[in-house]
Amino acid sequence: MSLAKFLLRRTLQGLLVIWGVVTVTFGIRVVAPGDPVAVILGPGASETLQEQVREDLGLNEPLYVQYVDYLQGLVVGDLGYSYQSRREVEIMVVERVPATLELALAATVVAIVIAIPLGVVSATRRNEPADYGATTFSLVGISTPNFWLGIMLILLFAVQWGIFPSSGRSVGLGEAVVSLVTTGHANDLLAWARHIVLPAITLGTFFTALITRLTRSGMVDELGKPYVTAAEAKGLPGVLIRYKHVLKNTMIPIVTVLGLQLGTLIGGAVITEEVFNWPGLGSRLISSIRSDDWPLTQGILIFIAVSFVLINIVVDTIYAALNPQVTAE
Amino acid sequence: MSQHGSGWTSRRAFLTATGAGTLGAVAGCLGGEGPEEFVVTQGELAGNADPNDHNATPAYNVFDPVYEPLFDLTPDGEIQERIVTDWEHVDDGEIELTLRDDVVFHNGDEMTASDVAYTIDRQVDEEVGIPSPQADGMTGITGAEAEDETTVLVEHEVNPELAETGLGVFARVVDEEWVEEREQPIADEMNGTGPYQLVEFQAEEHAVYEVFDDYWGEEPPFDQLRFQAISTDSTRVADLETEASDVVTNVPPADVHDISEAEGLDIRTVVSFRNIFLVMPNDDEPFDSQAFRQAMNYAVDNEAIISDINDGFGEPMSQPVPEDHFGHNPDLEPYPYDPDEAESLIEESGYEGEALTLTCPDGRYLNDTDIAEYAASQIDELDTVSCEAEIVPFEDLVEMVLDGDPTTAPDFFLIGWGNPTYDSNYGLEPWFVEGQASYNFLEEDLEEPVLDQRIEEAILESQTVEDEDEREQLLQDINEEIHEAAAWVFLHNEESVYGVRSDLEWEPRGDERINPGEMEL
Repeated sequence: MSLAKFLLRRTLQGLLVIWGVVTVTFGIRVVAPGDPVAVILGPGASETLQEQVREDLGLNEPLYVQYVDYLQGLVVGDLGYSYQSRREVEIMVVERVPATLELALAATVVAIVIAIPLGVVSATRRNEPADYGATTFSLVGISTPNFWLGIMLILLFAVQWGIFPSSGRSVGLGEAVVSLVTTGHANDLLAWARHIVLPAITLGTFFTALITRLTRSGMVDELGKPYVTAAEAKGLPGVLIRYKHVLKNTMIPIVTVLGLQLGTLIGGAVITEEVFNWPGLGSRLISSIRSDDWPLTQGILIFIAVSFVLINIVVDTIYAALNPQVTAE
Repeated sequence: MSQHGSGWTSRRAFLTATGAGTLGAVAGCLGGEGPEEFVVTQGELAGNADPNDHNATPAYNVFDPVYEPLFDLTPDGEIQERIVTDWEHVDDGEIELTLRDDVVFHNGDEMTASDVAYTIDRQVDEEVGIPSPQADGMTGITGAEAEDETTVLVEHEVNPELAETGLGVFARVVDEEWVEEREQPIADEMNGTGPYQLVEFQAEEHAVYEVFDDYWGEEPPFDQLRFQAISTDSTRVADLETEASDVVTNVPPADVHDISEAEGLDIRTVVSFRNIFLVMPNDDEPFDSQAFRQAMNYAVDNEAIISDINDGFGEPMSQPVPEDHFGHNPDLEPYPYDPDEAESLIEESGYEGEALTLTCPDGRYLNDTDIAEYAASQIDELDTVSCEAEIVPFEDLVEMVLDGDPTTAPDFFLIGWGNPTYDSNYGLEPWFVEGQASYNFLEEDLEEPVLDQRIEEAILESQTVEDEDEREQLLQDINEEIHEAAAWVFLHNEESVYGVRSDLEWEPRGDERINPGEMEL
């Protein structure tokens, strides 16, 4: 199979997934208790006004018409209006994307910076205290619920030691960078950094533990291969063997997982954002669910699904380009 | 003053050095940021920036710095002059308001009587702007019109004091021309006449204000002000402890001790106007029986709820309105905890063996789910009935309850009701008069004359009685009748618990209003 065909197949599969998400969220909206008109107008509105709003929203139309209308709107990027704020959903989604993306990327950075050295050390010092420490860390990291971890980090690093802020985002990264470039002052950038440290650690801990394990097992496999023995026989330094040759070969599956996990992090940031009052998609998703704001809930879920699918396609493409066996299969 | 969002604290910095040294150095490199501003953190904010599209205290707190109330409302519920300098009952059903002539909106428009009349119409007439949930509070007010530049004639169908109270509590002036130019309701802009003008608004997230230089009144105490929402209790409390917030609302009882002991922080409490109770819509079995409803009151130990669950915060209730509200009946005692009496009344009602479900909102009131589960377990302990609690999102419950139709409400539910008017009418009318949003009492065949009709007629009559003593007596009688009828399981009056910086001079109000103008550092 050519790369183009492979890509086309992946794209079609992605579209199918997105359609499924759209259909399921639309279905949930239909069967969920509650009347959108009551949410919009509140109690006490007259029958005439309720009927008018119902008409405006197309809620009097048969379900299949509502469904087709919604799909048509999606195609042109129209996700409807929020019941609560009456603002366009697509704007409410897009304005929260940078915060969530920043958090997901920062969590990924935390994972890479901590997990890979830890995994290497753990693999090269098997059955030594460093290895026990690393495997214990990864076990604890995978087992720790992030809402609990977030609260503990706040108590220690914000309340007890006063090192980092307990909540909020101050400014966005883009704004902070622009401020640095235009004024030469790094205050905004530093403020951004201080605010993101604890949420990024919270969100990234599970991911860090996962990558540590992957790195360790990959390294252990590679270290047992003949080319390592050959390199050692040639007299190459151990550091060079481990970091230039063995780690490089170990990185292929890790890079794949990193890409895929980025999508998971975007969707999985919900709890972390809520605990740290981080103004991203997750906290907006929770507030939309609380207030029965279905257009907004749908919009966010669809955005997350689309992001996940796109990231998967990109990762698959890179992987296929790097490893022709994938397309051959 | 808080460093907005910084959390950098000189007081706590490095008090505990262990383990913090390295990170402290890193954080030190990262530095502090932001201008100083006074920060108030609540559990929730407002879904949009339209002052007439909400009816919840946290939202009013966000709007009040910008959208100025017509009257000042004292903590005792008395109205005083503000934008309105004089008011007079000129005729049956008419109140004449005289306005200041030096009030300007933040966009530079002069405030006129037409704006005030438009504001009132926008609240009570769904054809003007939006259908406003504040209409219920503007009891009996039917509309307003401008007589000249500084005089407004308000038309009403009730006791003039009651109409004034509605105006005093709910009316906040908007700019007619500015509002009409915009899509309704207003999404994220504000233009009022208050001491602060809006700098930034993010729905459900934060509102940032700066001083409005052309404000007609006293300069407010803080140059910059921020109201923000943090729904997670522990994060909200941490925000205070890290000095990122200057005032936080709804401190959980479990955190009260720690904050009280913390250097530079303080706990302030006040008995709130919010009444917590269990509603028993009596359109169906078993709550159509007065004996059964009374049994529920005897079965639930509201003293224990206050002491064991709320750590002593709260006052037991005996009737629909708290003490200090006009029409409260001081002679009524809360139902005592008496499971034997409850069993006996259930037998008398003939509804033994009923399986009840108590529906409760999640996180709207102080320890609401714990309270519901506790009450349900006490009822469940009776031999003759069973009960379990079901937790639902607050919005779902509100939707079921506030549609004016008792048949769509859950069979048995916990809810709270804040009465900012300090008049029994707003504690009674919405629940006991047919056609009102939360009407849930329509007993049909208890006794002659029919109880629900008698209560409803008495409430409507009380609205038109001009003599205040006579009206108070009538309201006290109604409260007594509802106590006897056991329309609700009367639980407790909430106590508002605020965490504040200890150098803040501010006494919290029972009506949950947070007015920076009443604060000083």
